Amino acid sequence: MTRSAIQVDLETRLEISDFLVQEAEYLDDRQYEEWLTIFAPDIHYTAPIRVHRKSPASDIVDDIGHFDDDFASLTMRVKRLRTDVAWAEDPPSHTRRLITNIRIRLTDIADELDVRSNLLMFRSRGDRGSYDLIAGERQDRFRRIGQEWKIARRRAILDQSSLGTKNLGVFL
Amino acid sequence: MFVYSDPDVYELELERVFPHTWLFLAHASELSGPGSFVVRDMGEQSVIVGRGDDDVVRVFLNSCRHRGMKLACEDFGQVDMWRCQYHGFTYGSKGDFMGTLLGAPFERQAYPQGLDRKALSLIEARVETYQGLIFATWDKKIAPLSDFLGDVRWYLDLLFGRAEMEVVGVPQKWVVPSGWKLPADNFTSDAYHTATAHSFMARLNLTKGVDFGRDGYHVAPDNGHGLGIGTHSDDESYFPPELQEEYRSRLSEEQYELLSHLKNLHGNVFPHMSFLQPNFIDIDGKKVSGLMLRVWQPIGPDKLQVWSWHLIEKNGPDWWKKAAKAAYVQTFGSSGMFDQDDTENWEAQTRNSNTALARDEEIMLHYGMGLGMEPLTEFPGPGHVFDGKFSEAAGRKYWRTWLDLVLKEPEK
Ligand SMILES: [Fe+2]
Repeated sequence: MTRSAIQVDLETRLEISDFLVQEAEYLDDRQYEEWLTIFAPDIHYTAPIRVHRKSPASDIVDDIGHFDDDFASLTMRVKRLRTDVAWAEDPPSHTRRLITNIRIRLTDIADELDVRSNLLMFRSRGDRGSYDLIAGERQDRFRRIGQEWKIARRRAILDQSSLGTKNLGVFL
Repeated sequence: MFVYSDPDVYELELERVFPHTWLFLAHASELSGPGSFVVRDMGEQSVIVGRGDDDVVRVFLNSCRHRGMKLACEDFGQVDMWRCQYHGFTYGSKGDFMGTLLGAPFERQAYPQGLDRKALSLIEARVETYQGLIFATWDKKIAPLSDFLGDVRWYLDLLFGRAEMEVVGVPQKWVVPSGWKLPADNFTSDAYHTATAHSFMARLNLTKGVDFGRDGYHVAPDNGHGLGIGTHSDDESYFPPELQEEYRSRLSEEQYELLSHLKNLHGNVFPHMSFLQPNFIDIDGKKVSGLMLRVWQPIGPDKLQVWSWHLIEKNGPDWWKKAAKAAYVQTFGSSGMFDQDDTENWEAQTRNSNTALARDEEIMLHYGMGLGMEPLTEFPGPGHVFDGKFSEAAGRKYWRTWLDLVLKEPEK
């Protein structure tokens, strides 16, 4: 990578990186209410479907996905997880999210950045220690609101055309 | 209980159930034009569902006649002809082995004595369609699809025939460690579980108590299908006003009347095509529900692949299309708030089923709900219809149909 390809200063880079690490902590520690605060009110949170296609056809279908959520529905999901009848995640999965390969690009809007990162989630459920791996790329639109960064758009591209985890009761 | 996931039972199913019944494969809207195809499974066999250059939909075993290599190696696409990537044997969109130049490479040198072209046609299944739902079977003798569906057609009309319907995008797919019959049984006749498994609805004040699981009708048509219909008594239909005219033009008066009071509808066409118009929910002051179609694709005795489609009225207004899709994804599908709890149950049941034969005494389960109940005589729709959704009448018929097939020795 040439120097000119680095589009943001080191401070911004650290802010974004810390933000994503903090988010992973919120999710892995199940601090869902805190997690909701990372989103802008107009968040659109999606996860398109991957398909098995011959080149050069696209292997991503955005017409429908694994998530199609806004702030209200994400809040509903969190509220549901806080009831005592959220059977699929109670007892909760043990999760560990590894966020790496962070790429930050400028956008044509001054206070917004295009941030891509890799997600590898380890998810273990049940009494036998079995686990699923959920891998993908997050494409986030970061927006600076006052002194804070918020995520205004998330598109999580999972790397399986048939998911190997029995449900997405965990957030991407 | 062991039949939920027993490996020997599963072998029998692959031999006696799947090849000898009609299997749902695709919706007509997934095949946009001549040459378009999708790859699906019948039992565990890969098949191509393709629209020929004559516009006819055919189903072929996804297997070259030369060495059995797969012809279609992607989920879907569009081709002029099928060319095997192993040795180049080539087939037209009607499954015919192509002429001298195209059939097999270097044909004159490799096969100087010539090739029996007829014998090299792709292996083709019987195909029939109802309301855009494409079914196929390997069985040359079983009754036509319309007989097999029978009384369930009247109810399928409400979901798939009420308007011109189309699949949105592609199906979601994911793997659940569950025997394939557990979810089929659930959709056939289990409205009862909603009060417990999905009680977050009541907990979050999204519904009043268990009414969405109880109020309505349980339907037990013949041939192992089953469904439950949830109704409301409000004056206005929950479906969009913009679509009422199309509904009216496509449905009978009785069907239209029922659709106007429909709150939810779940069901299963034997053996493993499930359908659901989920309970309507209020989003931004509008009533919304996202139609879903499912196949519980077996990939082993205790493992299945869920195929989940969302369908929408092609001529529906934009607000409805957008809201119904979001509602579908959020409530059902891989991340659906309802689906999650169901998958957890089916996995745990399967694990118990896997050990059920370890005991000297067989473990029997309870399927007695609604025994002795008399069907309604006044209901406009066909089949045995019971007042209230709490019944397992259709479930009992499902297992009887399944057992009859499993016990039937194939004719040699
Ligand atoms: Fe359910």
